[in-house]
Amino acid sequence: MLSYDYVKCSDLKQAFDVLKTNEHALPLAGGTDLMVGMRGGKFTPRLLVDIKGLEELKVLKEDDAGITIGAAVTLNQIALFEPIVRHAAPLAEGAHSVGSYPIRNRATLAGNLCNASPAADTAAPLYSLGAVIKLIGPNQERSMPIEEFFLGPGKTALQKGELVRSILIPKPYPAGKGVYMKASRTGSVDLSTVGVAVQNWDGKVRIAVGAVAPTPVRALAVEKAINEGGEKDWAKAAKLVHDDISPITDLRGSREYRYHIAEVLVRRGLEQTVGV
Amino acid sequence: MTKKITINFSVNGDRETREAVVGQTLLKFIREELHLSGTKEGCEIGECGACTVLLDGKPVNSCLVLAVELDGKELVTIEGLSKNGELDRLQQAFVEKFAFQCGYCTPGMIMSAKALLDRNSDPTDEDINVALSGNLCRCGAYQEIREAIKASAKK
Repeated sequence: MLSYDYVKCSDLKQAFDVLKTNEHALPLAGGTDLMVGMRGGKFTPRLLVDIKGLEELKVLKEDDAGITIGAAVTLNQIALFEPIVRHAAPLAEGAHSVGSYPIRNRATLAGNLCNASPAADTAAPLYSLGAVIKLIGPNQERSMPIEEFFLGPGKTALQKGELVRSILIPKPYPAGKGVYMKASRTGSVDLSTVGVAVQNWDGKVRIAVGAVAPTPVRALAVEKAINEGGEKDWAKAAKLVHDDISPITDLRGSREYRYHIAEVLVRRGLEQTVGV
Repeated sequence: MTKKITINFSVNGDRETREAVVGQTLLKFIREELHLSGTKEGCEIGECGACTVLLDGKPVNSCLVLAVELDGKELVTIEGLSKNGELDRLQQAFVEKFAFQCGYCTPGMIMSAKALLDRNSDPTDEDINVALSGNLCRCGAYQEIREAIKASAKK
């Protein structure tokens, strides 16, 4: 059995106090990555700071600013939240594709992002929706676009002692369809080999691809060809995704396969969101 | 020094107060402290579903939950389904439809299926596939498992 201490926080201040005074403390929300990582030796905390019960982090609401998803909100809650299903379909689909149903009853969006896997199924959707990450530390709060949050595999812009407070899908919402498409070895309980989010913004598109670079990436070459160049041939436009990605070979797929499947998924995504 | 925390919870309808060792998984706590061995240990990384239990009515992988997180919660394990020695109708349907061979995955399968039927009394094949996406059966009894769930839903 692993040896560490545990504290269940009753408010954010307590969480920051505990995190600040303990060098080897880690926050615990859903725990679905953390528990596996601890067992495998990836994480070796001396103290787990349980933040999942904090009311401030359980917020899931829609208001004038958009849709706010607190750090303790689970992926199943997100996949079923009506404003997300209606206005942020790629996120609902991405959340629904993570792990399995029981995993999604525990796993959180914030945890999926903080784990910072380039293959995180909720990340590409957030890139396509222009999401904003709200961070909170002992002394200040700050916000940043999702693109600035991901720095590399396992690396985020979070500073020591800081927590993700919430994720905002800002208004105005995209006027158009959006999808998340995932290629994986099995139908569930697998990370994506490639994940593609395509969002139609009133005729313009915003496309993001996961598991093909050190972080999720925007398919900017494809976007430019369509949004600025007026390209209507989706097969031709999708080929440009090769310029945007730098995949590696791993157990889920070869570099060459990832180039191919990214192109295929981008084309299908365009067909489904902007039309054949 | 092994640290322990006092937790209050209910298990299969009974209120309990126990000490849980920090670092112990809910799975180990159920099997080794509560002595309810129906919940099975498989992969221990949340991929096989053999350890599925209901926490506040929702299916979770008990290998990915800490025992101390049980504080204030309601836990239902496979032992909580039968009443007075009688199998509940879902368990009975598994027997009637031969929905298992070795039986190791069965408690987890049934807990996931129970949670599904609690929220959806008439599930489609797709609903069942999604709800049981985290439960693996190495004997390959999936077809019969789906039939058992549907048969139970119809009753």
